[in-house]
Amino acid sequence: MAETSGRWLELSVEADVEAVEAVSEILSRVASGGTTVEPAFDLVDEGLDARVDPGRPSVVRAYVPAGDRGAAERAAADAAEALGHLQAFGLRPIGEVTTRLVHEADWAEAWKAHFPVIRVGRRIVIKPTWRRHRAKAGDVVIALDPGMAFGTGLHPTTRLCLVALEWLADRGRLDGARVLDVGCGSGILSIAAAKLGAKGVFAVDTDPIAVEATAANASRNGLSEVIRAGVGSVPTDGVPFDIVCANLIASLLVDLAPALAAQLRRDGTIVASGIFADRLSEVRVAFARARLDVGEVWDEGDWVALEAMRR
Amino acid sequence: MAKKIRIVLTLQLPAGKATPAPPVGTALGPHGINIIEFTKSYNEKTADKVGQVIPAQITVFEDRSFSFILKTPPAADLLRKAAGIEKGAQTPKRESAGRVSRDQVRQIAETKMADLNANDIEAAMKQVEGTARSMGIEVV
Repeated sequence: MAETSGRWLELSVEADVEAVEAVSEILSRVASGGTTVEPAFDLVDEGLDARVDPGRPSVVRAYVPAGDRGAAERAAADAAEALGHLQAFGLRPIGEVTTRLVHEADWAEAWKAHFPVIRVGRRIVIKPTWRRHRAKAGDVVIALDPGMAFGTGLHPTTRLCLVALEWLADRGRLDGARVLDVGCGSGILSIAAAKLGAKGVFAVDTDPIAVEATAANASRNGLSEVIRAGVGSVPTDGVPFDIVCANLIASLLVDLAPALAAQLRRDGTIVASGIFADRLSEVRVAFARARLDVGEVWDEGDWVALEAMRR
Repeated sequence: MAKKIRIVLTLQLPAGKATPAPPVGTALGPHGINIIEFTKSYNEKTADKVGQVIPAQITVFEDRSFSFILKTPPAADLLRKAAGIEKGAQTPKRESAGRVSRDQVRQIAETKMADLNANDIEAAMKQVEGTARSMGIEVV
């Protein structure tokens, strides 16, 4: 595409799920770069998954270079005309074409603006690798590249775990500790634990992309020797850990409570997060059954994290 | 990890050749995800399919991390292939761009069944057939 005229004309059409393929084909006739389809969806599994709702329309979008405004308007009109014929082909009705001018941005760089340096608790600082930060004495700086693994620091469940880890460190409970990080994502919690005093961290995630991200972020922080990452869920053997970190969701914490407890030495501590406030009581019950005594509880917005000691 | 989904989007892109230009930048930019990581990963995974359009369904989580899976090619591409044509008719109501059989429509519907959000194969075939007719491809 030769044009980088500074502006693009966005064409968007609401379409019944049944007509999405046809609408997308029509828009792609005038927009060579491709189309996007945004379906209506419902969250399922505590927000872990999304299910497309075929009863509500999807939005199909395409972008035409608008350097020549007239040509862009003609493209939009052509698309609108072709779309007008669709109902003749037996597909359910679709909405009108709406247009909007979108300004060119340096797309390769612009996303970075969404990731500032953030401070969590008193001394933990999450620093995207491309940002500068002048650390104060005592700051624990985690250098991170956000990407395809959960745990950028922008979500309360992550921040609550960091606060809990700092709380443990303040009580000396991370000094020389062996830590298990279940559902490690980007590795942010493993890195925090290591920087707060842990001598060894075993990080697991069922998603291989997360395991790669953890290894890469550990290396960025000079912690490749301290953090070992592997694909999997809660281990079922080995020497019990001093600390277990589990930023999951309530239903998983309930199901895994016995397995998580089994990985803790006596008087070891689990930090559990990802709990929607109205699910806290379920987690408490499951933890009590697994001989995990809940102590401190932290909350931010609708989210709760807690620490519990194994009896 | 306690992922929470912010949005789900499907991008129809040229395999192996995605760039941060629209629609990628305009679709993903507002959600603040790492666009370079997406295009790099998409191009790696689709490098063996250059020349085809391979949709990527992207899930953006609340903390701006994301994941994506590849989908089957658009019905239009499969129809063009089945009809042995380069592109659809300019005025589909008047001219014919090519033809496909009902069996071919069924095959395409079966290939795309999982991605069409259709209740049954008949409904999926209706979508494929509607797309064919709007492209000026006759179903015979």
